Amino acid sequence: MPEQVVQTGGYMIAAYIVTAVILLAYTIILARRIGKRHD
Amino acid sequence: MTLAQRGRWTTIGALVLLAGIYVRALRYTPVEAHQGLAQKIFYLHVPAAWSAMLSMGFVGLASILYLLLKDMRYDRFAAASAEVGTVFCCVMLTTGPLWARPIWNTWWTWDARLTLTLMLFFLFIGYLVLRGAVTDPSLRPRYSAVVGICGLTLLPFIHLSVYLFRTLHPMPIVLKPSAPSLPAPMLVTLLLSFGVFTLLYIGFVMQRYALGEGTSDA
Repeated sequence: MPEQVVQTGGYMIAAYIVTAVILLAYTIILARRIGKRHD
Repeated sequence: MTLAQRGRWTTIGALVLLAGIYVRALRYTPVEAHQGLAQKIFYLHVPAAWSAMLSMGFVGLASILYLLLKDMRYDRFAAASAEVGTVFCCVMLTTGPLWARPIWNTWWTWDARLTLTLMLFFLFIGYLVLRGAVTDPSLRPRYSAVVGICGLTLLPFIHLSVYLFRTLHPMPIVLKPSAPSLPAPMLVTLLLSFGVFTLLYIGFVMQRYALGEGTSDA
């Protein structure tokens, strides 16, 4: 049972990291595009 | 303060609140008895799906308004909402399989809900590709609006697919006729996450809309 908890916890951490990466990446991409337009 | 700056601060605020959702979901929300820790993916997957649907809903509505009023602001808003919706669709389509693998023992299954959601993603991509491919600025909004309206008509089928077809995907637990079937701490975390993802959508769209202002390349 603890092994199963560790395994499902791994999927959970992966999902939380992937979400943060996608949202942060898009935030940075938008900021750079807006910055380029102002240059 | 310009629209882009307001959008940026809204996005930053929403990202800080998202960090708060992470803490609340991981530390202060109980672990579900059957699914274990994997169930906590729910607090990101469902609000991401909500934001993707919201995006396509607004793409469709703005497309209808563009065709009726021929106001380019609606076309620009639809383009902004479609790009942002693609981002939320990416979150939904990556967190979904990460949740499915430990619970269903498969990354993906071609059931109605998942297949229709993938179609939504392809519609978003198709919409953006079409905008890039049609160079005539008088035709692009009209062609895009047609795809946007197709996306809008897909939304009720996605929501009702779990009722209409046999599917592995769970039934709605919040957006349904009866009361939400979740314990209070889980429901509060989910509703807060809905709010944060909606705020993120608003911040992203404000920035993306500002980017399209004053250019023909919306």
